[in-house]
Amino acid sequence: MTDPIAAVRSAFPDAVRASAVYRQTPILTLQAADLLAVGRFLRDTPELGYDLLSDLTVVDRLRLPQAQDEARFAGIYQLRSVARGGDLLQLTVPLPGGDAPVAPSVTGLWPTADWHEREAFDLFGVRYEGHPDLRRILMPDDWPTHPLRKDQPLGGERVPYTNTWAEEEFQHLGKQIMQTDQRPEPVPGRMDARHMIVNMGPQHPATHGVLRLIVELDGERIIGIQPDIGYLHSGFEKQGENIRYKDFVYYTDRMDYVSAMQNNLAYCLAVEKLLGIEAPPRAQAIRVIVCELQRIASHLVWLATHTLDVGGTGLALLMYAFREREEILDLFEMVCGARLTTSYLRVGGVSHDLPPAFIPRLRDLLARLPGRFDEYERMLSGSPLWRGRLMGIGKITAAQAIAWGVTGPLLRGAGVPYDLRKAQPYCGYEQYDFSIPVQSEGDSYARYLVRMAEMRQSLRIIQQAVDALPAGHFWIDDPKIAPPARGLLDQSMEALIHHFKLFTEGFRPPPGQAYHGIEASKGEMGVFLVSDGSAHPYRCRVRTPSFVNLQVTELMAKGHLFSDLVTVIGTIDIVLGDVDR
Amino acid sequence: MTSADYLPILILILIAAPFAGIAILLPSVLGPKNPNRMKQEAIESGMIPFADARRRFPVQYYMVAVLFIIFDIEVIFLFPWAVSLNQLKIFGLIEMGVFLGILLIGYLYVWKKGAFEWE
Amino acid sequence: MSIVLLSILKSLALIILLLTGFAYLTYYERKLLARFHVRRGPNRAGPFGLLQPIADAVKAIFKEEIVPGHVDKLIYIVAPALSLIPALVIFAVIPIAPDLRLGGFTLQFHVADINVGLLYLAAIASVATYGIILGGWSSNNNYALLGSLRTAAQMISYELPFGLLLAAIILTTNIGREAGTLSLIEILNQPRPWWLWLWLWLAFPMFFITMLAESNRSPFDLPETENELIAGFQVEYGGIKFALFFMAEYISMITGSAIMATLFFGGWRGPFADPGTWYGPIVGFGWFFLKVVALLFVYIWVRASVPRIRYDQLLQFCWKVLTPLSIGYLVLTALIVVFVG
Repeated sequence: MTDPIAAVRSAFPDAVRASAVYRQTPILTLQAADLLAVGRFLRDTPELGYDLLSDLTVVDRLRLPQAQDEARFAGIYQLRSVARGGDLLQLTVPLPGGDAPVAPSVTGLWPTADWHEREAFDLFGVRYEGHPDLRRILMPDDWPTHPLRKDQPLGGERVPYTNTWAEEEFQHLGKQIMQTDQRPEPVPGRMDARHMIVNMGPQHPATHGVLRLIVELDGERIIGIQPDIGYLHSGFEKQGENIRYKDFVYYTDRMDYVSAMQNNLAYCLAVEKLLGIEAPPRAQAIRVIVCELQRIASHLVWLATHTLDVGGTGLALLMYAFREREEILDLFEMVCGARLTTSYLRVGGVSHDLPPAFIPRLRDLLARLPGRFDEYERMLSGSPLWRGRLMGIGKITAAQAIAWGVTGPLLRGAGVPYDLRKAQPYCGYEQYDFSIPVQSEGDSYARYLVRMAEMRQSLRIIQQAVDALPAGHFWIDDPKIAPPARGLLDQSMEALIHHFKLFTEGFRPPPGQAYHGIEASKGEMGVFLVSDGSAHPYRCRVRTPSFVNLQVTELMAKGHLFSDLVTVIGTIDIVLGDVDR
Repeated sequence: MTSADYLPILILILIAAPFAGIAILLPSVLGPKNPNRMKQEAIESGMIPFADARRRFPVQYYMVAVLFIIFDIEVIFLFPWAVSLNQLKIFGLIEMGVFLGILLIGYLYVWKKGAFEWE
Repeated sequence: MSIVLLSILKSLALIILLLTGFAYLTYYERKLLARFHVRRGPNRAGPFGLLQPIADAVKAIFKEEIVPGHVDKLIYIVAPALSLIPALVIFAVIPIAPDLRLGGFTLQFHVADINVGLLYLAAIASVATYGIILGGWSSNNNYALLGSLRTAAQMISYELPFGLLLAAIILTTNIGREAGTLSLIEILNQPRPWWLWLWLWLAFPMFFITMLAESNRSPFDLPETENELIAGFQVEYGGIKFALFFMAEYISMITGSAIMATLFFGGWRGPFADPGTWYGPIVGFGWFFLKVVALLFVYIWVRASVPRIRYDQLLQFCWKVLTPLSIGYLVLTALIVVFVG
């Protein structure tokens, strides 16, 4: 394996300001002026091949004591090489310009940077030179500040909206949020006003939430799509930077709210990486079991909503898939008392051990699910109408998918056998025998097949994990991180003190930065944390799969019919909580 | 069979129409009335529409209508022929064969021209 | 004079029958879909939720009437009626039970016996399209407009195979008789040999598909696709005006089932449905009712199990598959009639 640091140092001796390897991740600090050249070198050199820009974000180092240089903002680029098994390389780029930072746009190298850079512009005010369409993305267009800057306090800002409830006309009504004096917006610049331009969403049954697509139609044919997101933006990252590490676990549930366990996992693993600890084997196995159950549950929701999108409300499969998902949620309720927002995983382990009744019930479900999946496939796979609606729709090639940073079933449906569980195993996935389902067509039908096969693979993993469930602690045996057992509190003064310290102060990871990505049900879910040595994360960044995958909507749906747009949104499998955060 | 046979249908229409009319008028008497601007906006996923919806239709819809007119008239000619086939016998069969044959050529032409593709 | 009075009574009875039928068809569909979905369906209003349709009707009547500011008011208000009236009127030529003879008086269980019954069906079915198109157009809403354009293209396209298949059925009425007929009553009275039944049933799947498309039922419910067009042509309608569109769709389902029952399954005919007896009409109506309910079951079954077809696929299926098949069926029927019958 080529060492990227050495390769870049030898090719660009002047560009590298510093380099380090922190927790196995090579980190390169580059001059902003050399970013594009180094990026091209990293992407195009065959031995390096960093073709996937996993994440792009910015850190405001205004209050970071460990900052080694004078620039206030630093761009953070997480690069992966799909061909080399998802090897991670972090680029840190101090941005010139002081309080009005400027960075070169990398959209020419990795098109996926488009929305990431818009987000960084929106939340940090970084101006990306060469970006094709630098607008706000999550916050409203007339928002006065860049909220993730460290000099912006959490809460307390004036919300630049005026409710019109005072108007007499609305006195007798409930809470009207829409403004009465709204006028139609101008037509987006690149669209032709002679065509029919329709708002699809935010209140639309097929957009899976408050997604808004501005669709340009010629008859039934889609000419252009401009997604408008941010309706559900709730500032999770800002929130995460203002609370203690362990308290953010509960927030992660609310991002991709149909796969809460996996969100917990991504965050906990990032914190554990920062702390340099590892959860005990039993906790790892439990994590694998619940996360794979969650993957099945999430795919079932996808299947149900996808058949709903394609087939209409009458289709019975909708309820069948939800029936099975309910059984999985029952299992979650057994382990942690919650069904949807589970918050079951904790830093260093899980919050409760599995109850005794869990395993038999799980085995019972494992025995039944394959038959149910067969039933679904009998209903759909051969159906000419289903095939007619899905085949050839929303095509994406492997090269396009990688360039746009698309991961998960979308990438595997395009023929790339890339799965972080195999490529960069975590939680002991390397012990389990499973395969990565791949289809080469890259259309919606391929993605349907991939997801169906993935559910079966998840069953295999769960089966193996249950069969070889190790005994031992379910939470790390470190009183600085995991609270002592309840019984100990009555006997041991020391345990009581640990408990008190943990819940009043939390734990303090050493200064450093860590990015950890996991294979969530929708793609790579990554969490990037910067620690300044305090009990709060200095920077908390979440890379969500839905946000990145949603970018390819136009690429996939352009030229198809209006009905196919619904199929495309369904096949991307977005959750708006995951998109907007 | 006289036009008197159609009288019951006229009566049915005369009864059905007021029923529909009353049903439409009823809520304006019985229902609450709280109009406001938001309620009277066009429903377009919660946004104000960009423009008026009435505009030039794409030509594809028109194509379907033209095709329909061509071929549906053929069907109208089939009805009286179908009723009296017993009298017409082989002669009727040949006549209709010629008629359908001509239309079939047109049908195949239209198919070849791609009028049935949604483009 | 008495024929006028009788017609008024029959018309009233028919409208009441159809509206009750509509109300309980919605209940039937919701219950059935619920069973397909492993749910319970309406079960709160009355025993087994049987009062649910009445509750729905009351709710629709007492809803606030909203006429959006941007619509073409007159057409917007008239369109639901234009959609409903044909749906009610089309039933006039369908016999629902054998004649009742009491002394010298004969009571016929259909509103009108006109000699162009099938032509009447085809004509009125076309008129029903206007309500939907005008409703969608007058709404001045992008989604409604798309919905109504789709309706226009879809419903007229499927009228072609519908007409061709009707013509084929008319052809078969030549068999064993002097001449063919367009009257549904006479079609019912025509004795059909067993091979003719089999030949007719061959056309039934095609006919059923055209009926699905004509009444905008899933998988052909493109004018109102809730997933892309939200509700299509009826997106701007609420309250009773929406209910009238809804009624029209469901009554056209009933009518479609009645037409199919009459043409393909012998209408009211069945054991003990003897014309002229006192019990004949009751038993006959029972058979008719059962056949219609069974066909309605298929409508709902299809909805629960088949994904929706796409718009271009729908038109291509009509023009490239259904139309040639119907023409072929028509030609073969003509040959059979001339050389066998």
